[in-house]
Amino acid sequence: MDSMNFNIKPTYDKKINKSDLVKLFWRSIPYEHSWNYERMGNVGFAWAIMPILKKLYPKKENFVHALKRNLELYNMTPYIVTLPLGISVAMEEANATNPEFDESSISAVKLALMGPLSGIGDSFFWGTLRVLATGIGTTLALKGSILGPILFFLVFNIPHYILRYYGTFLGYSLGSNVINNVESSGVMDKITKYASMIGMMVVGAMTQEMVNVKFITKIGVGKSASTVQSLLDGIFPGIATLALFGVTYWMLKKKLNPLMIMLIILLVSIAATYFKILGA
Amino acid sequence: MILKTFLIFLVGLLGYSEWLLGTSYLQRPIILGPLVGLVLGDLQNGIIMGATLELAMIGAVSVGAYDPPDLVSGSIIGISLAIETHAAPAAALTLGIPIAAIMQALGLATGQPLMLAFIHRCDNAAEKGNTRALTRNMLIAGYIQDWPGIVFIPLAFYFGSSTVAKLLNIIPAFIQEGMNVAAGLLPLLGFAMLAQMMMNKKVVPFFFLGFFLVAYAGISTTGVAIFAVIMAAIMYVFFDNSKETENTGKNEVVQEGDGFDEF
Repeated sequence: MDSMNFNIKPTYDKKINKSDLVKLFWRSIPYEHSWNYERMGNVGFAWAIMPILKKLYPKKENFVHALKRNLELYNMTPYIVTLPLGISVAMEEANATNPEFDESSISAVKLALMGPLSGIGDSFFWGTLRVLATGIGTTLALKGSILGPILFFLVFNIPHYILRYYGTFLGYSLGSNVINNVESSGVMDKITKYASMIGMMVVGAMTQEMVNVKFITKIGVGKSASTVQSLLDGIFPGIATLALFGVTYWMLKKKLNPLMIMLIILLVSIAATYFKILGA
Repeated sequence: MILKTFLIFLVGLLGYSEWLLGTSYLQRPIILGPLVGLVLGDLQNGIIMGATLELAMIGAVSVGAYDPPDLVSGSIIGISLAIETHAAPAAALTLGIPIAAIMQALGLATGQPLMLAFIHRCDNAAEKGNTRALTRNMLIAGYIQDWPGIVFIPLAFYFGSSTVAKLLNIIPAFIQEGMNVAAGLLPLLGFAMLAQMMMNKKVVPFFFLGFFLVAYAGISTTGVAIFAVIMAAIMYVFFDNSKETENTGKNEVVQEGDGFDEF
């Protein structure tokens, strides 16, 4: 098992060569373009693997059969779709060269990867990497710097395309063993653990840095007058933000629709401005 | 004006090409804002308004089955009209958010069924082994689902700015000021959504660590991110006991899935 862990330099001893896999990577890019509510990423998946199927199954009836099999429901975090694609290619290749091969195992492996891989993919790309990119990008962009949007784009997409590219080869070389290996060595759990830790810290930091709450009500008269805000900050800085965060979090927990919460925030803001409680 | 409308249309098309171009977050307000600013000759405001909308819409990401508001039309129409009428950055929110919600509903009601028709044509093409027809229908399917936005963006821009300018003058000052306050509060919703998705007992302290590092030490988010990565590396090297069986990770994934069912 040790020898085959994370080998991204696959051996090409059958029909598929490196340029086929590079092409597979490029064709994985529009994966979500045809995402639909019926079978989700099915067309995207089939379109990516189509040239390889054509190469593996020269007979038209076999090609049509394989293509239709790849049009069944599929869903995957787009950034790592090359991993199940690579695995599928390895299995289709085995299927095309070995008549004893059990064809139904291709779909079984593909579908088994949907849950665990999408889970880790969504939490890493959506919860960690995007939050990092947004944190860095908006801090700069709010000051009007063009570096904001540029860094946002690069911080997200450089790791994205590196992982997407190498995922193709990793998937192909590990074939159907990939998930067993990764799961038994606990790598998946660890990535999830550390990624959500970093993500949470950045979410906490952004909540304090980006949310702007300012109580403008004054207490006292003349020179001794102070605002409610400075009193609150005296307890600990950010107390107002933290309290309002708690209320919003609680509303979500109570299964309130996010659109409804947005409406509540808008109305409360306008009312609080009218009564001169909050200021921008 | 015709040229500007055409360029705005192109920015919209780029936004709706998000999924054709690798889901690379081209459709996020922080990217579309500067592009709209560039077209209208006010890059600076485009960047700032883009970032303002980005923060307000930070929770609007399509993960799982949650279908978020249509960011492309919301950002482009909101930001372009706000720039054209020389309004404050918060006006981009006032204009953009309702449009994003309406366009999402329109897309769901009309765009999705149309798209499915073309998905089924992909099946027919596969049946005949016709790869070119499959490619063509795949490409059409992706764009046809967004037809409301593709059609509405240039129209709203062309006919909208004078109407919007009149409207903004009618709106009382405290409402416009209130929108500025809301712009400061709306990110709360996005962060709460993010936190809810990732939250479990183990990572709760890290939220507060990040929060108070900024509150007390005044470190920027970027700084906190750097420290977070270093800390994770230290924990991994010195404290991670790999012999210990970790079942919690799997539970986390399951919890995240559950979080989405709520929307």
